Amino acid sequence: MSEDKMQADDATRVASVVDDRDDEFKWHTGKQLPTGVQDAIEFVDVHKAFGRNKILRGLNMGIPEDKISMILGPSGTGKSVCIKHMVGLLYPDQGDIIVHGKSVPMMHDDELFDMRKKFGVLFQDGALFGSMNLLDNVAFPLRQHTDKGEEEVMEIVNRRLAEVGLTNAGDKMPNELSGGMRKRAGFARALVLDPDIVLFDEPDSGLDPVRTALLCELIQEIHEENGGAYVVITHDIMSARRVAEHISVLWKGRIVESGPAEQLFNSDNAFVRQFLAGDSQGPLGME
Amino acid sequence: MVRSVADRAFLPTKNLLEEVGDMMILTGKTISSALRPPYPYGGEFVSQFLFAIKLCWFPLLVSTVAFGFGAPGLQAANFLVIFGALDRLGGFFVLASIREFAPFVTAIVLAGVAGTAITADLGARKIREELDALQVLGVDPVKNLVVPRFLALMLVTGLFNIYALIFGVFGGILATLTNGAPLGPFWATFFTNASTTDLWGSVLKTTLFGAIIAIVCCYKGMTASGGAEGVGRAVNQAVVIAFLGVFAFNYVFTQTLLATHPEILVPR
Repeated sequence: MSEDKMQADDATRVASVVDDRDDEFKWHTGKQLPTGVQDAIEFVDVHKAFGRNKILRGLNMGIPEDKISMILGPSGTGKSVCIKHMVGLLYPDQGDIIVHGKSVPMMHDDELFDMRKKFGVLFQDGALFGSMNLLDNVAFPLRQHTDKGEEEVMEIVNRRLAEVGLTNAGDKMPNELSGGMRKRAGFARALVLDPDIVLFDEPDSGLDPVRTALLCELIQEIHEENGGAYVVITHDIMSARRVAEHISVLWKGRIVESGPAEQLFNSDNAFVRQFLAGDSQGPLGME
Repeated sequence: MVRSVADRAFLPTKNLLEEVGDMMILTGKTISSALRPPYPYGGEFVSQFLFAIKLCWFPLLVSTVAFGFGAPGLQAANFLVIFGALDRLGGFFVLASIREFAPFVTAIVLAGVAGTAITADLGARKIREELDALQVLGVDPVKNLVVPRFLALMLVTGLFNIYALIFGVFGGILATLTNGAPLGPFWATFFTNASTTDLWGSVLKTTLFGAIIAIVCCYKGMTASGGAEGVGRAVNQAVVIAFLGVFAFNYVFTQTLLATHPEILVPR
């Protein structure tokens, strides 16, 4: 083989590697369709890696104020990592997260603990405190952060427990509850301080379809009543169709597309179409 | 290739240094959180203090008596009998029990019983996302969970050292009686050699052992990952690191004490 030919082959190989690298993000238009409202939370070019495992790779995303937003994406794309960045449980390696105009990574501990009072978070399994019964779990934020008397605290707690259908379970310990009940109790605790922003980390995981639908209805009802920016992380397209007002599709640590739900469901992006239709044919495979 | 070999060779060292650094930072945060108002950890401090006493009093009693009787008691007595100097056993117990064995046995029992319970408890909370939930609810886990455990373990370890001294010396008494010797000479050489420096040195050293155990065990619990298996791993690592920390610190502390108070080196 001549030297020219070998060099040409090398050049082709290099070009194909470069193309492959470009191809990785070829569906990521990063398009952020306008919502007409301000963003409560913004991710600005956020990078995050755990060891060599790069999770967020230049994430730019906005979560609009006063809407139910969903972050959708395949497993392992960094959805839960996003939530942890919003509340300062994780810090980005690069980039910024802005909540109501303030940079989270730049906050001191005291500011951070103060800022977190704006948030209610429903963790995957409810994250109830195992040493407290349900009443004390839901009352915990009120006792910690308000000067309310015990009678008023109990009144609020009972109202919140009633909203999530746990009126008679107040004296039960978390290990006596089913997964669905733990989630609902976690939801009641997340709402008890009337937060401006509520984050739901896969509220549908481990629930049957009927209970998932009921939980979605509950999210919608409480949002209508209280308002605020709600962020739901899920893989469940049915849930997205039911409650989402804004959708961000996340893949490989970046936004593929985001915007109002009805526009995303009609997107012409092949990846977004495949994912939102739950189709096996398309850019997303098993890899 | 070279980089990957270098990574493989140096990664464990780098991780170890990172962990030690993180533990130092946690120590600083714990001390500053303990001193800065508000002080919401009173209740948790009392419950951790009582919890440690409840868990450790019996294992410590058995360990100190058995250890005092067996190692410095019978074995040193066998040796001293050859020289007809069994009365010196009391003086030896000042060195053996007050200076070394009582603090060591206390630290080992506290790390193995109370320390592991702390790591398992915090590790399980971490896995269940309770610690994240606490932080999100605006509660500082260092102030509310680490500080009370840190203070309780320090106090309990310091107090248990006196308890261990008493039962350790009781082991020496048993050894003396086993050899059919009277206790008068034992006490005579014991009190001639004992000094307040030995006593406060022993209590201070053990209190600081408690601090090391608390920080290591809280750190390993709060950074546990990987489900139930991860909690088991954290508990195992906590005990190993706490022992290493205690042994290393003991060397530095005892040598410093002896260097700054050379009079306690001289047998009387």
